[in-house]
Amino acid sequence: MAPSHEGSGSVFEAVALQKEYDDGQVKALRGVDFRIQPGEFVAIVGQSGSGKSTLLQMLGALDHPSGGSLLYRGSSLAERADLAAYRAHDVGFIFQAFHLLPTFTAIENVQIPMLESRRTTAERKQRATELLGLVGLEKRMDHFPAKLSGGERQRVAIARSLANDASVLLADEPTGNLDSENATLVMDLIVRLQQEQHFTLVLVTHDPGIARRAGRVISMRDGHIISDALNIAP
Amino acid sequence: MTFLTIVTRGLWRRPVRTGLTMVGISIGIAAVVALVGISRGFETSWQAGMKTRGTDVVVSNMGSALTPKPFSATVVDRITPIPHVAETCSLLVDLVGVEKAEMMIVSARQWGGFSWKNLKIVEGRLPNDAKEKAVVLGRTAAEVLKKKVGDTLQLETEELAVVGIVDGGAVVENGSVILSLPLFQELTGNEGKINIIDLRVTPGTTKEEIIQLCDKITSVVPEARAVVAGDHIRDSQAYRIIRAMSWGTSLLAVLVGVLGVMNTMMMTVFERTQEICVLLAIGWKRSRIMRMILWESALLGFLGGVCGVLLGVAGVKVLVTAPAMRGLLEPDLNPRLLVMAVAIAVVVGVVSGVYPAWRSSRLMPSQALHG
Repeated sequence: MAPSHEGSGSVFEAVALQKEYDDGQVKALRGVDFRIQPGEFVAIVGQSGSGKSTLLQMLGALDHPSGGSLLYRGSSLAERADLAAYRAHDVGFIFQAFHLLPTFTAIENVQIPMLESRRTTAERKQRATELLGLVGLEKRMDHFPAKLSGGERQRVAIARSLANDASVLLADEPTGNLDSENATLVMDLIVRLQQEQHFTLVLVTHDPGIARRAGRVISMRDGHIISDALNIAP
Repeated sequence: MTFLTIVTRGLWRRPVRTGLTMVGISIGIAAVVALVGISRGFETSWQAGMKTRGTDVVVSNMGSALTPKPFSATVVDRITPIPHVAETCSLLVDLVGVEKAEMMIVSARQWGGFSWKNLKIVEGRLPNDAKEKAVVLGRTAAEVLKKKVGDTLQLETEELAVVGIVDGGAVVENGSVILSLPLFQELTGNEGKINIIDLRVTPGTTKEEIIQLCDKITSVVPEARAVVAGDHIRDSQAYRIIRAMSWGTSLLAVLVGVLGVMNTMMMTVFERTQEICVLLAIGWKRSRIMRMILWESALLGFLGGVCGVLLGVAGVKVLVTAPAMRGLLEPDLNPRLLVMAVAIAVVVGVVSGVYPAWRSSRLMPSQALHG
């Protein structure tokens, strides 16, 4: 079943989106078109070099497209002057390698994005405590990343991505560095949070099992979208 | 957790490197404190000596040496008739090695002159007359020379009796060997020569009148120059050279500090490239990243500055107890100098952090996804 490309109110709308590196010698995205609706859980799948991570970078405004357009809630991301504010408040990022800051405890790591918010010190701490409770780490809040397991680290990273109440979560191979047991736990957590909080989730993976849990799967190869289909029973 | 927590953690993640950089800044700042403190101390110690002697105006010829050039004692005859001149006292002052002391102030004073009157006898007595082959020692000079009343002191070729130990009320006075002018002139073959005239003005003379008096004396005595007491050291070419060398050496030390901090901060930025990219990816503004690096750099400078001030003060305290320095000067470690030294260190930190901060702000957040 093909996803609907109709209707307004999309979270993202990409039109002929392109990304080139090395003066055009490497074409990571060769003109992709899609729309993502609020609350969707979209998995982007494909082999290494297919362009899926580049696409995630474009959605997260971590890099600029070389051509085409990418709209966020109807406005062009390329024309936004406050991309840092977009990254701080509109989207949350979960990385494959967790990327927690090693010299900060779990609760401090969760507070770091909130320094860009207007929350007071006490409010930041309270919010971080709530989020760590949400991901089941209330008893590990004062541990440094080195003292946490891989699964726990990723749960801290998930809490961090939700710190500023983002309406979109972008996850780059979130279970890529985890064993199967922890991978399942982390995916269960992400899916549960998405269902409870109704944020839009765009997840890059090459694991078909994880992709099957998404509501929609975009498959990529050589910078093109080769299929874009809804999962009937995610 | 606050922004400052992030700044301090950034520094402590490499404690050895941070510590070594702090040592580098500390040495630079300690050099500033010690050298500038000592050169200023030289000035203030001599000013204090003048004040204790009750001198208002000094007539001397401060050339490029540390002591003034000698001139004819008859110069006094041209000065005393000038209005506002109440009293004069001729001196021949020299810095010479005395026995085992490498450098001592020898202060030969006109017999009966007012410059004897501030000396309080601690032990013994003053010389009986201008011809008595005797000296009195300031308290510190006596300690440095390990002399007591009744001992003899070898000065030039003559053995002189130590007849008294005195408190002159100032470091320079207490560090001096004091004797009568004619005796020292004879010992050094400087008969009829003096190199300083201490001058007191008549009571009620205003500051402006003192300055006018100085100009008048300088015009009638071309071989010397009259300046308000204390200023003669500042006017001295030798003192200017000392001061310039102090600042020059300090500047070099500070420059080394700048390079040290810059190197540390560049290493920090290189090492934390991915971390900085992650911070950008999770929404930190580039300006916040820059501020983080600049604050780290400034904090490093501040801590290095505080340690440097402590090190400098301790170093100076030790230095002035050295036999070669005792009694010559009291270092001027006033709070303004210490605050200025810390401020210099903070500026060093900030300046050193500018380039690394700029480099860090140029990083692309997309690098967070790599690795």
